[in-house]
Amino acid sequence: MNDLLADAIFWAFAAGSVTTGLRVFRTDSMMRAAFYLLASFAGVGGILVLLGAEFLGMVLILMMAGEMLIMAIVMVMFMMNPAGLNPMWMVHQHRVAVAAGAGSFVLLASLPFLVKFPDRPAPQPEEATAELGTELLGDSMLVFQTAGVALLSTMIGAVVIANRSGRFGVAEEGSQEPTVEPGAGDQR
Amino acid sequence: MSEYAAAGVAIAAVGAALLAGVYFVAVFDRLIGALVEGRPLQWSRLLAEPVQSSALMAVQQRRTTERPDAPAWALAPALFAGLAAVALAMVPLDRDLVATDPATGFVVFSAAIAMVMIAVYLHGWSPNSAFALHGAYRYGAQALSFQIPFLLAMLATVLPAESLSIVEIVNAQESLWNVVRQPAGLPLYLVVGVAVSFWGPLNLPDGSDLAGGTSVEDSGLSRLLWKAARAAMLVSVAAMGAAAFLGGWWGPWLAGPVWVVLKTVALLGVLLASGHLLARVRIEQFVLVSWVVLIPLALLNVFVSGAFLL
Repeated sequence: MNDLLADAIFWAFAAGSVTTGLRVFRTDSMMRAAFYLLASFAGVGGILVLLGAEFLGMVLILMMAGEMLIMAIVMVMFMMNPAGLNPMWMVHQHRVAVAAGAGSFVLLASLPFLVKFPDRPAPQPEEATAELGTELLGDSMLVFQTAGVALLSTMIGAVVIANRSGRFGVAEEGSQEPTVEPGAGDQR
Repeated sequence: MSEYAAAGVAIAAVGAALLAGVYFVAVFDRLIGALVEGRPLQWSRLLAEPVQSSALMAVQQRRTTERPDAPAWALAPALFAGLAAVALAMVPLDRDLVATDPATGFVVFSAAIAMVMIAVYLHGWSPNSAFALHGAYRYGAQALSFQIPFLLAMLATVLPAESLSIVEIVNAQESLWNVVRQPAGLPLYLVVGVAVSFWGPLNLPDGSDLAGGTSVEDSGLSRLLWKAARAAMLVSVAAMGAAAFLGGWWGPWLAGPVWVVLKTVALLGVLLASGHLLARVRIEQFVLVSWVVLIPLALLNVFVSGAFLL
């Protein structure tokens, strides 16, 4: 693949990622926000593949598909917004959010211009995926296993808390089904 | 042939294979249905009917709903069909005859299968319709349940090959096919394959108990595209099953590509027959069986396959 084509593909992915990333906050639906975020991540995955990190790029896309769907469904459940179909504002504390977002974008985007990068091109690894596997299960095994066990225990903890017969007794104790009759909720 | 021309030929070949596969699925499904029900075979009708109903759907008027998410609705079938094409592109016809053979072919195929849940969810969510949305949530539950056993069943085939490349996975089956080496692998894969393209007993998101589920509001061309994309996904799943478990191009007498096609047709027969022979299961049952039976079985399959290689 020649450099011009590689550049064109990079800019297409980069522009797509930034645009969809921006759309996450400009849309009025949780579902659309989740799927725009997925598209943004898919673009980053494409850039990773372009950089030679084939495995990481594809795994990013693979994991994000399930993750975004779960996130969207959980958001809909917590926000009491049936199916995420009702329009809603995706940003809280609007001015602070815009300032923080713009500030961190400028900061991160200015890094390539401020930092002096080493000027010696790294050799393209022959077997990038195999080297990654050796790294994960070799020198860095303790780090990754620790992170893995921590995540697993978090998941088990979340399941225990969310369970019906949870830590603080039966979950729906004292709760009432919402009524569909207008005004009836006020009398409770 | 230049690099770019070769890529163009490969893309065109995958597209043509998918189109042929979709037509074949339509005919084969009707054939199996007629055989199961003991109806007399009318070949001319069998061959013409898919074309006729496709033509009818293509020219039918299209309905719309109140305030749909039109771009997402239009995107869903295209995304689904595109994912089927990505999955099929990973399947080698012979050692040197493959659309593309990335070193991480297994991961690319898995990513395509994972993205199917986004396509189906978008398809059910975007029309702004109750039954379609029910179907979307059903597929969400279904997909999150089959994803892990699917990855584990496929992962076991990676172990003997010591590579994530699909060509290497097939290559490693020269002496012994994975279907023998890992007896639990193929049944697991087939259950999951039916679930991925929600066919037959696992047609929960588009089931008739939801009046058509995610496709209840589809009409005309978009209905045709969605049906075609589903059939295309079934072809890709069968072809990958033939490569990962039935030894791909390996086989006596015949040429490699012929074997791949024959094995794909055999697996398609099993997948399609499930729609005519088995009753639809409930989503709760499928989720329960996935987490309690299929995941432990798939883990056991990985452990046993790994232990044999040590």
